[in-house]
Amino acid sequence: MTGELTYRRVHRASPELLFDCMTDPEHLAHFWGPAGTSTPVDGIVVDLRPGGKFETTMVDADGGGYTMRAVYVEIDRPHRLVWIESDVEGGMRTTITFTDRGDGHTEVITHQTNVPEAYLSAEARAGFATSLDRFDAYLAGLAR
Amino acid sequence: MVVCTVAIVIVIEDELSLVFSALADPTRRAIVTRLATGAATVNQLAEPFALTQQAVSKHLKVLERARLIRRTRVGKARPCVLDADRLHDAAGWIERHRQLWADRHDRLEAHLHTLLRGESDDR
Repeated sequence: MTGELTYRRVHRASPELLFDCMTDPEHLAHFWGPAGTSTPVDGIVVDLRPGGKFETTMVDADGGGYTMRAVYVEIDRPHRLVWIESDVEGGMRTTITFTDRGDGHTEVITHQTNVPEAYLSAEARAGFATSLDRFDAYLAGLAR
Repeated sequence: MVVCTVAIVIVIEDELSLVFSALADPTRRAIVTRLATGAATVNQLAEPFALTQQAVSKHLKVLERARLIRRTRVGKARPCVLDADRLHDAAGWIERHRQLWADRHDRLEAHLHTLLRGESDDR
């Protein structure tokens, strides 16, 4: 148990459509908000590039709102999507992978973990340096 | 009122991040697993892990700070015991997040059905 969560789900749709559902406010508004809340489209910010904002404001029945603030780290349509919420639990990283099963179905795996560990695994991969630098810059901006 | 609730949640989550970072280390997880079977002194913990007492003490400090363990006193000895409440909190965190994504995917599935049936969605 290390503050990690892996959630796997298979949908009958293409990876492209599923990727778009996860990144298009018009789609997100239909399913994002936790049970008992809604996430209106005008409360969703998607700036789909490394370092870009991903924010969703969830509104409950009493009109109270809660905004999730994240920053995209990696965007690789339709395979992979990564964002980090810097102000949750010391920093939480969410990675979603979309795998075409070749039979009209796509496996969607959501992996969430705390940031320090995410940094370790990210360092092991090539190609992450740029987006992590941007994220560092973002964090540095927050700390100021 | 709402502000108070949020503050409490943040404090709890901050404590949880201590728990998770404490448990990110395999040796500390092994120590927690060992303590789940009963109290142990630093000496008893050092032995199976081929670690110095100093190294074990360092790990124990991290676990103590996360309030995953407590030091007790039995005569001169100060054995460590597991504080299971923290582990339950951590398990609760994982379950809450799992439930969030399960619900989200249920609604996504319904949304996909609507899209793929080609129904117009004029809302």
